[in-house]
Amino acid sequence: MNRLFDFIIWGTGALIILAFLSLFAGMFAEMVHGEVISSPNMDEISFAIRLSLVTATIASALALLFSIPVAYLFSRYRFFLKNLFDTLLDLPIVLSPIALGAMLLIFFNTPFGKHLDNLFGPFVFEVKGIILAQFFVIVGLSIRLLKATFDGIDIEFENLARTLGYGKIRVFFHVLLPMAGKGIISAFLLIWGRAIGEFGATVTLAGATTMKTETIPVAIYLSFESADITSALIYITILIITSLAILFFMRSFQDIRL
Amino acid sequence: MNRSYLQIQSLNLKLGGFSLKNIDLSCEKGEYHVLLGPTGSGKSSLMKCVLGFYRLNGGTVLLDGRDLSNDLPEYRNMGYVPQNYSLFPHLDVEKNIRFGLRARKNGSKRDNSVVDKLCDTLNIQHLRKRRVRYLSGGERQKVALARALAIQPDILLFDEPFSSIDEGAKRNLWMELKEIINEVGITAFHITHNLEEAYTMGERLSVLIRGELLQSGTKKEIFDRPVTESIARYLNYRNIYEGITQKDPEGVKIDLGHFSLHAMEDIPDNKKIKLCVRQQDIKIIKGDSPVKDSLERNLFSGEIVSLFPLPEYCLMNFRIDGSPKRFDFELKFPRYIIERHNLYQGKKIRVAVWEPNIILFKDEEKQK
Repeated sequence: MNRLFDFIIWGTGALIILAFLSLFAGMFAEMVHGEVISSPNMDEISFAIRLSLVTATIASALALLFSIPVAYLFSRYRFFLKNLFDTLLDLPIVLSPIALGAMLLIFFNTPFGKHLDNLFGPFVFEVKGIILAQFFVIVGLSIRLLKATFDGIDIEFENLARTLGYGKIRVFFHVLLPMAGKGIISAFLLIWGRAIGEFGATVTLAGATTMKTETIPVAIYLSFESADITSALIYITILIITSLAILFFMRSFQDIRL
Repeated sequence: MNRSYLQIQSLNLKLGGFSLKNIDLSCEKGEYHVLLGPTGSGKSSLMKCVLGFYRLNGGTVLLDGRDLSNDLPEYRNMGYVPQNYSLFPHLDVEKNIRFGLRARKNGSKRDNSVVDKLCDTLNIQHLRKRRVRYLSGGERQKVALARALAIQPDILLFDEPFSSIDEGAKRNLWMELKEIINEVGITAFHITHNLEEAYTMGERLSVLIRGELLQSGTKKEIFDRPVTESIARYLNYRNIYEGITQKDPEGVKIDLGHFSLHAMEDIPDNKKIKLCVRQQDIKIIKGDSPVKDSLERNLFSGEIVSLFPLPEYCLMNFRIDGSPKRFDFELKFPRYIIERHNLYQGKKIRVAVWEPNIILFKDEEKQK
């Protein structure tokens, strides 16, 4: 029975790794032997990369800015209907991004949404819409990651700092943030990676307009739609390299002790 | 009027299903006061009330006559050494010590001399640039103490400061901490569940059980004369009985059913009362030697039911002749007594209780 158990766990592990490697191998084979139909449009590729980097960075920074206080609130305080609100904030993690994008689209058709649209400029089918869509997709994850970070910091550190003459704001900046630094950077990298790869909500709210709202995932979609496999492969390679870099950095970062 | 330095008056606190009930406690200036109580008795909650982390449901906390009840923790000027020391891991030892000084706007040169002096006093000069994760338990405690003392607090509060230190190292550190506190000359309020620690460290003790402060006094008063059965049980005292009093020309006789004990107290007749005889207060009488009058009235013949030699002392269960119980007394004595009296299971011996050593719980209600 022990041998059977070992066989099952080693076999399953090997199978899943093989499945992933097959995906990479398929892509590599296509790169080497694939027929180049058209030469890739480097301007378009460069635009998509820049747009993705800018929108993902802004959306991640905004998500972090909002989720730090919210995560602290949920980590440290007890209040009425806390569990309900907590669940609500988790919704974007499990909800389909297309559904989230559609909800945003519907929201901007309401009088309040239209008012916001007038106040901050148009969101629908615009770059701002990409940032907003990415923000909503990643903010739940960001809150969850940061709450776990704050939960891991003993409240006694804050209490102690209070006895040493620090008010709540100074405790937050001098104790909590430095101690949560590693967790905050990890959270930023993860949500940034998630934002870079975001497609569903973005395409629903901001559309898929070439050289306007064309992020890397949208560009992959558009390339496949026009059978431009070469460009699609370039975009996919960029996404894979970015994702792997983030994951490797996170791994090594976790091992570094502050 | 003699005013205490730290005064907790009629303090009430409700925390979910738990509450601190009508706590009155006082601590003189320069005193080392230990609050003793089992886990879950509310010691840490009481300390957090003193520190200002809980809003009281009633009562006041006064320090040197100043009412702190509504002051925020950052304005109370109290040094706090928590259970696990809570040294900031992102700062080195020196920065940890300076942390409280940074909260104050004035300083710098004076701050340097404060830090230097503390490092000298606590003998941690060589650790100043070390990261806190490389410190031993004892070193961590000293750094936490230095950090608390750096702000020149009005009082020091210790929350189970030895709980994360190895058993073997604890005793030396008790002495060392006591010496440092004496040298600094600060009022200290220390909470613990450890009886030996409380006895070694405390000049005065208070006992908190199930949210009620049952007794305050010198360590001799607490350990020799616990006022309630629950304190005696917490102090690990056995031989607790309930009986009926019978007036006696030389005190009182307490009828415990199959035997009785005489005590030198003035208690009304026919009253139900609980009493305790500490294990160490029961004497083994050698052979047929004559005994003093004060022992004569509480002299019992019987046999040794069991002997438990432990590394530092020996426990013995003794049954009085004719007793229906498995044993009537538990005795505790140094190991050499076994050889001196040639004790063994089943041996017939005599034991006696000196009358002043009988602890009578006259009132189970709160007494101080």
